[in-house]
Amino acid sequence: MKSLAVMRNVLRRIARDVRTLALIVVLPLFFVLLYGNSFSGSYHDLTIVIVNEDNGLASVRTAEVGRVTLSVNLADAFVSALDPAMFDVSTSDDPAIATASVEETGVWAALVFPRSFSNAVVNEAVRAGGERRVEFEGDMVTLLPSDPIDGPKMTLALDDGNPLIADAILTAFETAFSQVLATQQSSLTAEGLLDVQALHEGKIRMLDFTAPGIIGFAMTLITVMLTAMSVVRERTSGTLTRILIAPISAWEVTFGYTLAFSLIAIFQAAELFLASTLLFDIRFVGSPGVVALLILLFAIGLQGIATLISTIAKNEAQAMQFILFLLIPSIMVSGVFWPLEMMPATIRPLSYVSPLTYANAGLRKVMLAGGGIGDVRFELAVLGAFALVMLLLSVLSMRRQAYTA
Amino acid sequence: MPVEQVVLATGLRKRFGKRMALDGLDLSVTQGQLYGLAGPNGAGKTTLIRTLCGLLRPDEGEANLLGWRMPSARVRSQLGYMPQDYAVYDDLSVLQNLEFFGGLYELRRAQVRERANELLDLVQLADRRSQRVGTLSGGMRRRVSLAISLLHKPRLAFLDEPTAGVDPKLRRSFWDHFNGLAEQDVTLVVTTHLVEEALRCHIVGFLNAGRLLAQGTPDEILAETSTSNLDDAFIVLQDRGEAAR
Repeated sequence: MKSLAVMRNVLRRIARDVRTLALIVVLPLFFVLLYGNSFSGSYHDLTIVIVNEDNGLASVRTAEVGRVTLSVNLADAFVSALDPAMFDVSTSDDPAIATASVEETGVWAALVFPRSFSNAVVNEAVRAGGERRVEFEGDMVTLLPSDPIDGPKMTLALDDGNPLIADAILTAFETAFSQVLATQQSSLTAEGLLDVQALHEGKIRMLDFTAPGIIGFAMTLITVMLTAMSVVRERTSGTLTRILIAPISAWEVTFGYTLAFSLIAIFQAAELFLASTLLFDIRFVGSPGVVALLILLFAIGLQGIATLISTIAKNEAQAMQFILFLLIPSIMVSGVFWPLEMMPATIRPLSYVSPLTYANAGLRKVMLAGGGIGDVRFELAVLGAFALVMLLLSVLSMRRQAYTA
Repeated sequence: MPVEQVVLATGLRKRFGKRMALDGLDLSVTQGQLYGLAGPNGAGKTTLIRTLCGLLRPDEGEANLLGWRMPSARVRSQLGYMPQDYAVYDDLSVLQNLEFFGGLYELRRAQVRERANELLDLVQLADRRSQRVGTLSGGMRRRVSLAISLLHKPRLAFLDEPTAGVDPKLRRSFWDHFNGLAEQDVTLVVTTHLVEEALRCHIVGFLNAGRLLAQGTPDEILAETSTSNLDDAFIVLQDRGEAAR
């Protein structure tokens, strides 16, 4: 059968291509390991600040001995009930400083317990749940409901820039409160006790949260594929040899490529942003100029990666496989869908070397929180260094291609 | 090194895996010489040209072009190179290809146009200047490639099988042009399989298994091999090479 001959020929050719063969074997396993590890993480070390002004006392009417003062320390109990692995808890005496730290220093949440917190919770619990007997100085006494206390609520300043983390923090707080309230035999819910002050105006949807990363990833794929394919085609067609034998330096060739593909990248980014905002009303509250700067540095670095890929790849098919091998994982490890805080320690180093991590973080700061150039200086510095290093490596790689073309 | 000795290679050795592509090869070509490199397939002709041009690093030995040790950026503007592949942009027109490469050699637009007119007349593609190269036949693409290689009036040109797939009449006019260039002191190193082409060279070098088995004018080669035509001479030389291995 001739089809079998065609099949045998295809397989024989693949078998002769050691790199393709290695990728066929390694790629699926690599993806499974990466995917499994990315998903198996949980939130840890989320920085929060607690301001505990609660005096820990509750003044309650009893049927037997009149009004008594119980020492319940509910705020302390709440802090103890928090998952120590999930939170990195620090304390502060000043509610204003703690609340400001959410906006300024990357603290995820600041929770302020008012002075009469324990008192308010216990009285509200008795009022909601009816008479209840407790031990007081060795005797059992009956707590009586009193008039509703318009007690001060806890104030929670929350960075909601990452809706996944914000939801996780709220859920964890509610769980801790449930445990504390259970000790008071109360049917109260945490919701009624919390006054949440979100950092950002308007709700940040999951769509808004993932958009910067998805746009960054789309750019990564398009830019790297376009550049790598172009360079490989130049090399395999012989035109690269012709260019490199002409009186033009590898630096000039690389820079020419960079200019061309940066223009294309900027055009593509503009198209992506425009379509996202017009069609899906993506949140974009920051400066387009800062976004353009982030995109430009990111795109220059990506072209460097593409040129390096084109040096290694013998042909376009191999280049495509290297691109898949390098780039598909980047969307899993760069905090696009799952926050970096959730990544297991085994995966985190990959997150930190992925340029998409910094592009995504920078774009989020500008698009979601309206950050200016000063807010993204770290991301700009990392992407700038990435662009510079990649540009230098691609010049070296271009020189090398002169001898391998 | 005397300036007129534009190509000087000594002890070139280049190995690809187990195969020795160049085996201690020495070569000298003087200014204005039309040097024909002949030899069977796989003899090392293309490897030699790429090594001389600085596109391959030799494992041993050195190559000097126009007085500069290769690879050197200094000779690039005076060097013409026509690879065995077409090495042209299929998605550009004939003229656009010439304009791009002319730009790399810092030719002004008017200079490129002037040279393009001359060279497209030579390669008989003047009426196809606006046609996309990808739509041309293989032979025509080779002609575009040759035009690109000579566009900047190089002092030294390496042409790797410039007449492959070209019809006999045009081939003859190419060789007339090569001889004309040599008369203007341009040095050409041309690989060929064809005996009648080798006859038009000033010097012919016969390469086999990475070694230069014979070198001289066509008459000297005939005398050295005691044959009456170059066809027989090459067969004798090839047999000698195989016997020596």
